[in-house]
Amino acid sequence: MMQPIIDIRNIAKIYEMGGEDVHALHDVSLTIGSNEYIALMGPSGSGKSTLMNMLGCLDTPTSGTYLFKGENVSDMTDDELAEIRNREIGFVFQTFNLLPRATARENVELPLVYAGVKRTERDTRATNALESVGLADRMDHRPNELSGGQRQRVAIARALVTRPSIILADEPTGNLDTKTGQDIMALFGELWKAGNTVILVTHEEDIARHARRIVRLRDGRIESDAPNN
Amino acid sequence: MLRITEIGESFRIAIAALRLNLLRSILTTGGVVVGVVLVVVMGWTIKGLDAVWEQTIGIIGRDMLYIDKWDWTGGRNWRKIEARKNITLQQALLLKERMETADLTIPIARKWGGAVSFGNKQVMCAVQGTTYEYGQTPAGITTDGRWFTEIEDAHSQRCVVIGYGIDKTLFPEGGAVGKTLKVHGIPFRIIGVIEKRGFLFMDFIDNQVFIPLATFQSAYGFYDRSFSVAIKAGNERLLDIVRDEAVGHMREIRNTPPGEDDDFAVNEMQAFDQQVTTIRAVIWLVGIGLTILAFIVGSIGIMNIMFVSVTERTKEIGIRKAIGARRSSVLTQFLIESSALCMIGAIIALPISQVIVGAARWILMGPMEYDWVGVVSPFIPVDLLIIAIGVSIIVGLLAGFFPARRAASLDPVDALRFE
Repeated sequence: MMQPIIDIRNIAKIYEMGGEDVHALHDVSLTIGSNEYIALMGPSGSGKSTLMNMLGCLDTPTSGTYLFKGENVSDMTDDELAEIRNREIGFVFQTFNLLPRATARENVELPLVYAGVKRTERDTRATNALESVGLADRMDHRPNELSGGQRQRVAIARALVTRPSIILADEPTGNLDTKTGQDIMALFGELWKAGNTVILVTHEEDIARHARRIVRLRDGRIESDAPNN
Repeated sequence: MLRITEIGESFRIAIAALRLNLLRSILTTGGVVVGVVLVVVMGWTIKGLDAVWEQTIGIIGRDMLYIDKWDWTGGRNWRKIEARKNITLQQALLLKERMETADLTIPIARKWGGAVSFGNKQVMCAVQGTTYEYGQTPAGITTDGRWFTEIEDAHSQRCVVIGYGIDKTLFPEGGAVGKTLKVHGIPFRIIGVIEKRGFLFMDFIDNQVFIPLATFQSAYGFYDRSFSVAIKAGNERLLDIVRDEAVGHMREIRNTPPGEDDDFAVNEMQAFDQQVTTIRAVIWLVGIGLTILAFIVGSIGIMNIMFVSVTERTKEIGIRKAIGARRSSVLTQFLIESSALCMIGAIIALPISQVIVGAARWILMGPMEYDWVGVVSPFIPVDLLIIAIGVSIIVGLLAGFFPARRAASLDPVDALRFE
């Protein structure tokens, strides 16, 4: 088997809250390979958000190891994590998290700014990314001039523009109506078919159904991990 | 390592953020504005003072010294000076005869509170009797006509060279040379007008008239009159040698016993240097003190507003971190924002400083009727402008440091969750 992109071994995460230790994750192990389409499911409090932050290199585990393409992420510095996020991970959030004062194109260019890409190349790549999500005619609009679905497409373009190893989508349809949500899910399907690795974090069965593999969490542990037929 | 693309981005963000809160930004810079105005106006004042002083010394001549009964700087023991014997014409002439190192040695007799009149106009002024050689010193340069000659001097001709101020008062339309003026009722032919020399505290210099020494004697007499001797060293570096020689001769001429203090004064413009230096130092100290105070107040304001800005934009910081902004990226972004804020202050301060400088120059110099252009600049000095902007950027960096560090060390997960 090829080297997995994500290889998590026995990780735990313990938060201190009001003097008490809260075990958000217990002994979780998970392997995700290239071009998988996977859904992380679980009710609130199941630890799925914590696991997502961990997978997205926004946070590090309290114990255990996390190998990202063979590199040990568990003991990386903040700046090294920032570089991994910039290079390898494309985030799509429930609330879109676009910069309100920047245009669609500027939002999409932002990861490239932090990657040190020159302006002309940034422009080209941002334009291509926006075209690929069907927003060729909305590039110079600000988020408040766009519909929810369009905003999420901008966010997806921003996630794609660095050609990351994984796309990590946290409740990507949570703030959208059903129809728009379906359009967005169709887009993720296309991205997967085009060879991307997609990780969905959701509590909705309807959304998780789109994935090819479903990992269910409960009380900080993996309850089940099975292909979705 | 900070990437160049990020610096460009940081400027863009900073300007956008400041524009969004334009009024707040401008109000915040108040302290910096005051600080920059103080630096610039103070610097201009000192430069102006120096320029005026240089000009004044230049007019009298840096290579000139004057042997007098009185010290220009006053001080010391007034009674003792009062008790000094007058310097007689004979002593002055002896000194002139013996001086070897000096270019020129010129006796001068003065009468204060003289009156000159033309037609029905009269001016109070000092009347000086001196030799033709005075015309060769910087103080005797004429713009119109000429100085009197050795022959006119020797034959006690009634000719007069008038100062710029007298010329302006009595002959506002010009054409003084050739006209006849009355000095204490005695008619004198005007043969020359001296160029403008008066300054801020020395405009009396322009209200003098010069007549030949022999003419002065026949008009006012030499009895109970102390002469001055103007000595031109020819070169500033020779001043010490010339001074030593003059003092030696004078002590001998006046029979000053060894060990006794000189019973005459050696006056030089340089004697005032110390006072000018003191005035300059006081302006600096007061100015710098006020400036530091203003910058402290200013930087507290900026630090405060930057903390507000960081809090308001916590979510934005979270987004940026999620997509790959490193600590240094966020730190730079906020440092650039706070120094841009200070630069706005500096930019606001510059026209204000220019207006103050223009007004100060007009108030100080307007009423004096003299042409000051070229001596005291009407503009803010460029070097101070650069210093002021530089200092305000540094203040911005210092004031922005703690807020920027807070922003840089925000946890991305917490920041993203912030609403």
